[in-house]
Amino acid sequence: MNILSINNVSKKFGDLEVLKNITIDVAEGEVIAIIGPSGSGKSTLLRCIIKLVNIDKGSIEIEGKPMVYRDTEGNSIYSSDKDIRVLRKKMGMVFQNFNLFPHKSVLENIIEAPLTVNNAIRKEAESTADKLLAKVGLSDKRNSFPCELSGGQKQRVAIARALAMNPAIMLFDEPTSALDPELTGEVLRVMKALAEERMTMLVVTHEMAFAREVADRVIFMDLGEIIEQGSPKEVFGNPTHPRTKAFLGQILR
Amino acid sequence: MDYDYIINTAIAITKGFKVTYSLLFTTLLLSLPLGLLIALARISKSRLLQYVAGTYIWLLRGTPLLLQVFFIYFGLPAFGITFDSMTAAIVAFSLNYAAYFAEIFRSGIQSIDRGQYESADVLGLTYTQTMKRIIIPQMAKRVLPPVSNEVITLVKDTALVFGIGLLDTLRTAQIIVTRDFNITAFVIAGIFYLINTLILTLIFNRLEQKYSYYYD
Repeated sequence: MNILSINNVSKKFGDLEVLKNITIDVAEGEVIAIIGPSGSGKSTLLRCIIKLVNIDKGSIEIEGKPMVYRDTEGNSIYSSDKDIRVLRKKMGMVFQNFNLFPHKSVLENIIEAPLTVNNAIRKEAESTADKLLAKVGLSDKRNSFPCELSGGQKQRVAIARALAMNPAIMLFDEPTSALDPELTGEVLRVMKALAEERMTMLVVTHEMAFAREVADRVIFMDLGEIIEQGSPKEVFGNPTHPRTKAFLGQILR
Repeated sequence: MDYDYIINTAIAITKGFKVTYSLLFTTLLLSLPLGLLIALARISKSRLLQYVAGTYIWLLRGTPLLLQVFFIYFGLPAFGITFDSMTAAIVAFSLNYAAYFAEIFRSGIQSIDRGQYESADVLGLTYTQTMKRIIIPQMAKRVLPPVSNEVITLVKDTALVFGIGLLDTLRTAQIIVTRDFNITAFVIAGIFYLINTLILTLIFNRLEQKYSYYYD
């Protein structure tokens, strides 16, 4: 079964069509890298999937259950708030700018949602958090505040925070774009480890080496459309579309 | 210098402290939470709430505080609502300061980065949980300096209650000055206000320090 199915999704901001008929099926354990020039709609796509932004047309299903579906006349209808809450909980998201809670310690950042949203028992939430901190290599930063961390450490905390809700799929929105170049490695390593554990991941990224090495599938988007997709070997080694060639030519130069 | 006169005058003025302090602390106790509610109404999705809050703020900031005190003490009895002078003062001051605090809180809330709402949202927090646990605690740190400003203004504004015959610190001093043809009482009253604003300044400095464990 597909973890995520996006069908003919379109989105406009005013007159600007940021997404045009996007269709993607994501299988369990699949790692998909979405690449493309800025303004191609990659980030908007992620934001539509997790409903930070509502779509205009199309449908989105998570584990086979509709978050937004098309009625008989083809209009997109969102499911009930209650159903949407359940479906959104299956998704974790990591932002370009981390968006950690600055007034809370690393530990408190991670246990916030388990405690507030899932009514978890504090002790259990903390022990889960400690395991996640070990996983992202930040056990020693448990009681630090975000302002005391480097960008790479912040992003690793943000990943742990998303994982604490035990999502079925992780969405990464340019997770290394706000980092100094020497700090991207530590974040990409954590993501690679996740991929090796068969976490389903949708990664919007400019890190072509990561996409090539870790992704099962690469999707190239431009101007709101999927131009080309395939295995990293196909897309990077033998791109068929001139726009893909032009983009890769520029970025891999 | 007549030290006995100074000491006796000071003791006489302390009678006014009680009025000043009760008004000050009750007003803070009521106007801070009320201001937060008005700020939340002002930024809510409901047009009606926005409008009601906006109008409230406009009315209460747009007319003199003393006029509001007069209105509640002398005006409301015409509608069958009577307050004793202290209650009238507390009601007027609380309603008035709530309007100012509301605007301070609103600006504080709106200064918080959108990303905070988004990350809370994708983690599954409801709007109420996001406000309570993520936004308002961060807002509190940011609004401390302007709130401190308002509180210090409030200390001095309490002197306006002479208008409805309350014997606060300044009014008590004024009575003594008129009686004795000696301005010592004014000096003592001035020192009283200075000491109080100093204490409040120190308290707010401590609070700012308490919040300095993080920056964003």
